[in-house]
Amino acid sequence: MEYLLIAIQDVFTGPSLFWVAGGVLLGYILGAIPGLGKATGVAVSIPLTFYLDPVSALGLLIGIAKGSGAGSAVSAILLNTPGEPSSAPTALDGYPLARQGKAQKTLKMGLFASVIGDFVSTVVLILLAAPLARYALLIGPVELCAILVFSLTFIGGLSGGSMIKGLIAACFGIFFATVGMETETFVPRLTFGFLQLDDGISLVPMAIGMLAVAEMIVQAGNLRELDAQTERMKDSDNPDDRRITGPEWRRCAPVIARGSLIGTIVGILPGLGASVGSFLSYGATKRASKTPEKFGTGMIEGVAASESADNAVVPSSLIPLFALGIPGSVIAAILIAAFILHGLTPGPRMFTEQPRLVADLYIAMLSASLIMLALGYAGQRIFAMIIRVPLRLIIPGVLLFCCVGAYMETSSVFSIYIMLAFTLIGFLSRKLDFSFVTFLIGFVVAPKLELSFRQSLQLLNHDWANLVKHPIAIAFFLAAIATVLAVARKEARQSVGTIDTKREELS
Amino acid sequence: MRRANAISGFVLAAIAILALLVVIPWQIENGPAGMMSPRLVPQLMMGAVLVLSVLLVLTNLEPAGRDDPPPFSREELRALALISGVFAVSITLYLTIGALAFGSVLVAGTLVVLGERRPLIVAGMPVALMLLLWVLFYKILGTAIL
Repeated sequence: MEYLLIAIQDVFTGPSLFWVAGGVLLGYILGAIPGLGKATGVAVSIPLTFYLDPVSALGLLIGIAKGSGAGSAVSAILLNTPGEPSSAPTALDGYPLARQGKAQKTLKMGLFASVIGDFVSTVVLILLAAPLARYALLIGPVELCAILVFSLTFIGGLSGGSMIKGLIAACFGIFFATVGMETETFVPRLTFGFLQLDDGISLVPMAIGMLAVAEMIVQAGNLRELDAQTERMKDSDNPDDRRITGPEWRRCAPVIARGSLIGTIVGILPGLGASVGSFLSYGATKRASKTPEKFGTGMIEGVAASESADNAVVPSSLIPLFALGIPGSVIAAILIAAFILHGLTPGPRMFTEQPRLVADLYIAMLSASLIMLALGYAGQRIFAMIIRVPLRLIIPGVLLFCCVGAYMETSSVFSIYIMLAFTLIGFLSRKLDFSFVTFLIGFVVAPKLELSFRQSLQLLNHDWANLVKHPIAIAFFLAAIATVLAVARKEARQSVGTIDTKREELS
Repeated sequence: MRRANAISGFVLAAIAILALLVVIPWQIENGPAGMMSPRLVPQLMMGAVLVLSVLLVLTNLEPAGRDDPPPFSREELRALALISGVFAVSITLYLTIGALAFGSVLVAGTLVVLGERRPLIVAGMPVALMLLLWVLFYKILGTAIL
């Protein structure tokens, strides 16, 4: 507590607050641009922090990470193009709401849910990071492997219209992640002689291609209809369509609380990431709703669920980093480099060796949440103006930014080739209803899954009977099997219903 | 969608068989003895894709209804072809001239294929966007991207 009081003085009297605010603003803008997400923003900005003091530097980077989490909802809601994969569920209901003239209301709900989720998760980080170090050690490779298998099965069953297609997408995601040098034997896999593939397929160009460029092509194919809708899409004259009403707050408050909790837990578990959090929260809200069939047509609860969980993941994903020195997410992995650069080595010892710097960081993170609320709210009208621009003027700019985002990853045109290859895959998966989100999550968790699978085989001595010594892992494997059976049963019922209807129509 | 599901199931099963029999043995060595084979995970995934693809075909063998819409519209395929063409020209210009030509042609070309005909927009937007990128990266972020 003593250090927290000193930290308030450090952050609020020095230049740190300015840099935190700058980071949030920059992150918000980068997040709103499809393809330029938090990982790219933080990675690009690390050189900027060389000349800043540690608190300002880390505050700037944390601000970018937090701001882009909230900013990615803007493009998801207004353009149906998630700024980051984790905002994909936001687009499911956010975009239809914007088309109904409720863009301002939806953006406000996205912002409030983001800030609440982020703030709650930051408080949990502050309270749990140090004490959790002891318990986090219980999650070994076998448990991690089980958790990852469960997550993929759950998401594969949940996203898209068919579990089989969802699981196929997840398998392809894992398959593409095996491209490159194998980490244990150093055997190159599926590189076809391209040296650029020795380090594997980079996530950024792949995600930009599958999400942003593919979406732009689909939108280009529906340009006339969408431009006509854009012309019609104006802010409603009804004031209730521009603000969040009392009944909506009452409906969304428990949704935000649940989303914040889910996002925080998912963030703590290493390797799952914001996409898992936002989809789990969206799915849980849909299942809990009395009108699940209305989700996807413009339910404000869907936006609240997705955004609260999405933004709760970032702060809590720092818990394994702070407690054990293990990055729990892509952003945590990138932040390790910045922390070390500024003299803060993540791990249990940092709480005893540099308590003041840790406290400064906590206060900077809490400040970033509040600054995000102020900047997001003040800039909302400017962001909402995007909807008035015809799509044919937006698409070329987005394509250019996508190319820049992909190119920057390796400073090579090869990244653009990768982006274009996955654009085609993304286009096909969209049109044929194979979940590209499951594909991307499979791709992201695959290295951890393969490593934990390899370690599990050794720990279990190649005998699955030894699994009885890992009850947490058994619970997650059983949950995965139960998920497959439940979803298969539900799909079989729906299929039988459809065939019966067709037979009735024919007779 | 049932017909599309069945066809995509066939295609994916063929890809999985090709990967299992040709691509993986050709592109991944067996690895040292006593260690988990580097082929194991790719083979497991393609095996799973094969099984799931067969399931996809089997669950979609019911004849498609008359109202079963095709998954692709003509306009979408046209947009895919046109934007691919713009990318092809832009990348050729990048390799022969440089990044400025790439960006300008990508923006102007996409504007034209999407139906924009106002000369001021077609000429001005590439300049404005390239200037914006220069200010963002070289002035605000202070990071060279080329």
